[in-house]
Amino acid sequence: MIYDLRHKTTYRYGAPVAFARCVLRLTPRDGPWQTVLANEVLISPKPAAVLERIGPFGETTRTVEVDQPHRAFVIEARSRVDVHARLIDANAPSPSWESVRENSLTSPLLGPEGPASFLYPTLRTPITPAITEYARQSFWPGRPIVQAAAELMGRMRSDFAYDQEATDVRTPAAEAFAARRGVCQDFVHIMISGLRGLGLPAAYVSGYLRTIPPPGQPRLEGADATHAWVSLWCGPDRGWVGIDPTNAAFAENDHIVLALGRDYADIAPIDGVILAPGGQTLKVEVDVIPTNEEDRLL
Amino acid sequence: MAANSASATVGRDDLPPAAAERLSGWLRDYRPFAGIPDELIDPMGWPRDYWLNFLGSFAEYPEGEFKSRFSLSTKHIRDTGVSYRIYGEDNERAWPLNPLPLILGEQEWSQIAAGVEQRARLMEAILQDLYGEASLVRDGALPAAAVTGSPDFIRAMRGVKPPGGRYLQLYAADLGRGPDGRWWVLDDRTQAPSGAGYALENRLVLSRAYPNLYNNANVQRLASFFDGMRQGLAQAADSNEPRICLLTPGPFSETYFEQAHLARYLGFLLVEGDDLVVREGRAYVRTIAGLKRADVLLRRVDADFLDPLELNGASKLGVPGLLEAIREGGVAVLNMPGSGVLESRALLGFLPKLSRRLLGEELLTPNVATWWCGQSLERALVEREMDTVAIASAFNQPAGDSFAKPRLMADLSEAERRTFLQRFQDRPEDFVGQEVARLSTTPVLRDGRLEPAAFVLRVYAAWTPQGFSIMPGGFCRTSDRPDMRAISMGEGARTADVWVISQAPVERVTLLTARDEVKVQRITGHLPSRAADNLFWLGRYLERAEATLRLVRSLCTSLMDPEAALHTAGETLSRLQQLLIGGGALQEEAMGERAVDAARSALHDEEAAGSVIQLVRSSHRTAASMRERLSADFWSLLLNLENRLSRGQDALSEADVLQQVESALQILSALSGLSQENMNRAAGWRFLDMGRRIERGINICRFTRTLASGTATMDDLDLLLDLADSQITYRARYLVGVALTPVRDMAMLDPFNTRSLAFQLDALKSHLAALPSLLDDGMLEAPHKILLNLAAEVETEEATDLDGSKMLGFEQALMRLSIAVADRYFLQGANVAPTVEIAGLA
Repeated sequence: MIYDLRHKTTYRYGAPVAFARCVLRLTPRDGPWQTVLANEVLISPKPAAVLERIGPFGETTRTVEVDQPHRAFVIEARSRVDVHARLIDANAPSPSWESVRENSLTSPLLGPEGPASFLYPTLRTPITPAITEYARQSFWPGRPIVQAAAELMGRMRSDFAYDQEATDVRTPAAEAFAARRGVCQDFVHIMISGLRGLGLPAAYVSGYLRTIPPPGQPRLEGADATHAWVSLWCGPDRGWVGIDPTNAAFAENDHIVLALGRDYADIAPIDGVILAPGGQTLKVEVDVIPTNEEDRLL
Repeated sequence: MAANSASATVGRDDLPPAAAERLSGWLRDYRPFAGIPDELIDPMGWPRDYWLNFLGSFAEYPEGEFKSRFSLSTKHIRDTGVSYRIYGEDNERAWPLNPLPLILGEQEWSQIAAGVEQRARLMEAILQDLYGEASLVRDGALPAAAVTGSPDFIRAMRGVKPPGGRYLQLYAADLGRGPDGRWWVLDDRTQAPSGAGYALENRLVLSRAYPNLYNNANVQRLASFFDGMRQGLAQAADSNEPRICLLTPGPFSETYFEQAHLARYLGFLLVEGDDLVVREGRAYVRTIAGLKRADVLLRRVDADFLDPLELNGASKLGVPGLLEAIREGGVAVLNMPGSGVLESRALLGFLPKLSRRLLGEELLTPNVATWWCGQSLERALVEREMDTVAIASAFNQPAGDSFAKPRLMADLSEAERRTFLQRFQDRPEDFVGQEVARLSTTPVLRDGRLEPAAFVLRVYAAWTPQGFSIMPGGFCRTSDRPDMRAISMGEGARTADVWVISQAPVERVTLLTARDEVKVQRITGHLPSRAADNLFWLGRYLERAEATLRLVRSLCTSLMDPEAALHTAGETLSRLQQLLIGGGALQEEAMGERAVDAARSALHDEEAAGSVIQLVRSSHRTAASMRERLSADFWSLLLNLENRLSRGQDALSEADVLQQVESALQILSALSGLSQENMNRAAGWRFLDMGRRIERGINICRFTRTLASGTATMDDLDLLLDLADSQITYRARYLVGVALTPVRDMAMLDPFNTRSLAFQLDALKSHLAALPSLLDDGMLEAPHKILLNLAAEVETEEATDLDGSKMLGFEQALMRLSIAVADRYFLQGANVAPTVEIAGLA
């Protein structure tokens, strides 16, 4: 499936901002499951300097300096991505989760392709006994790992309420877990905490989800959103498997990967500091358009 | 015990009888623990020569003299404010130092030094590999998971060539002597080892306490180690005259004093994250002359906090974009961010193998046996021996974590044990098992007796152009408890100086370099904006404290002078109180209070922001965040001032209060004399003095407006002359007695009176003229404009026309000037740099 993606972020400031420095992670990642056909990032006002490099998790990173006074900062990323992921069968044979745990400890891969970076707790995915015990209920001794993970994502879907008011980007996993509500980011952090609590290597994936409008209604422009899910390492043979606890679905051809890290903070699409006294407002517009539609963006 | 019977018969026959007796008493009563090596008593039970030499000479000090020598010397610790802070506490603690050093013989030392030098090379080699091609991991010599668990494995630095080519500038090893008599490494310090500055301070105190003993004992000197370190840092820069900065987490760091001390000793600029900015791949210091290149940063900020943009976004200690600047080669940061990964205990067990592989050498100094439980064989061993080994976290953890330090199963509560066992089953990779070793003891003095105490010795290696150089000495911590691995400064531990004794007399090291290598400089670089800010406010606080003290003094004397009391019972007294309330020294409710109560409140009221004690505290706080810029004399006067004021709260009579005010005023004038006579006349002094002048100008306007208004009484004018310190001049100049116009002229317009407004403006003009301007376009900067306007008005004013509203106008212009100075020279906007986070997730 080929998608056209548009991801536009607009900051408006209460007072002129003299200087801004941002890190942008807005180029979808290439991988065996998807190919990036085109990508460009438009920035206004025009930056004084843009440095492009590959970040620690394989993500394309742009560092941007803006040194002219501005009251609005607009970043628009446009991409075309061909997604050709493998379909996942929860009941097909997979290694026991304990053997995956042992394997991840002896891995000779230091980089983001290997499991070792995704074993340990982070600021947003601390290991807490309560979350570990919740996850453990799906992981009985010897159970195949994909099967156990599929059950856990199903349980999360029914136990947790989707609630945009309950949390914000800074809410710690333990708090959202106790309230049993939140958004995709919270569910992903909780699931990662639970999996790592059992010694399993799990990653945070940021990306986009194809949304299908209700029958007979047109797709609303800019109404899609960024999304997040979990990627679980299932041993050297199965590799990484995408698990979406928000929708209780495996990440296959409706999920387009932007970047993959230990938690949200590693790969936030935009990080920045500005020198400014006033407040700011933020608007994000996202379009995910399968290219069989007419209105192509590129 | 064999050791004791042997030592009881030993002594030195060259000593006077009293000393010989004290020495043999010490040795007779000294009882090392059975089966544990001791530094004083050798394995055969005999005291070591170099200890005997030292203790013998030490015993020659009569009891009283020894005590007074040491307490005089530790008084220096108090006076210069040597301190440390326990994490999470507001107050700094005074430095606890043992009167006895740890003494090591030359032979002993050469083994330690060789071991630490080798280990420093090994650490550098591992870092080069891990952040480079990572062949150790690829080939299976090191599991990836033993590396990635460390919060100091900085992935963003993989594949980045360190500017200057090296990862480690300063390395330290914590050592103890094991039961086999060999030295063992307990921990490696590769992030930003602390304590080297305290080692310097300990040396200073002991060498002052016993100068003869120290000079005759052939103790190896420390100075050349620090000189080498400075050269090593300079070498990392890509310019010939690099600006080297010590990056500190700030005054709330546990070891801020040490950092300030080191910066001053080494001649580096002490900077906080806010002082630095990154532009186009280079790091700069914000100074009063604009942005100036920072070539090398010696960092004391942990890696995760260095760059809020790429690492921990919540960090307020870092510099956004710093990692980018490192990648671009625009600044050398040492130790290189990511070096801390080698502090993980998980790695200890791999080091012998890595040493063979990377250096082709056997490790000279073993580490305490450690098993990382991420490996199945090691995990099985630790599980089997669970009750005899110590358990510790495999990677650096915050101080509050239960296994941040090694613990024995037996010491865990039932609940802790249950939680631990579950966690160990789920995540064995988070833990190591460690051999429990009781390490050697060294003598300390307790209540006049010599007793053995457990200790840890930290030894430093610094990179120099000639390779790693080892500090001949170190930082020793002793504990009252037998388990020395629990030692940290937080647990009632003490420190000791470390003396390495040479066989031959030591050369006096001089830091003089060959004459032609040094270019003469008269200006010490540009003043950082933060320092300018602090100095300016220090000047304002001190001047405000002085003005308030003068008001309180007048209040007291008016009460004690029977003749004056007649007059001042009324309006003048209430005007004085008004002035104190206006300055925030007294609270509103105090109006109409008994004068003596008002005087006491103005001095001591903790609730009033402008009371003298609060102003002195503000001065202290401001001074504390730029300790490296203030002389020890200045600092000790300031501490003295605060002590005196906080002691005198029970002063009852007006005579007591007056006494206290007088002595505080004396200290303040000593402080101002010190800054006039002993501070070099670079920009720093100008900011201190500008703060003082602006404050004094504002105060004289306030006083004159209040006391020399159209309805002023004789008493009011008299009081004004007192406050302006102008009684004598006035009486010499005017024989007619006190009158409104001449008093106004003297307080406000007379350029020869050092307390007048006009005089302050003259001084301010010369300061501003001497400061750098940002642009060469010949246009006046804002502070100059305000000041020149004001000065022109004051110069052309006539005392007869001077009314309250004009004086108020002058006062307001001075306040505008203060704001303009802040806008132009200080850190503006630095504190308003929120991290923008995007919140657009479905």
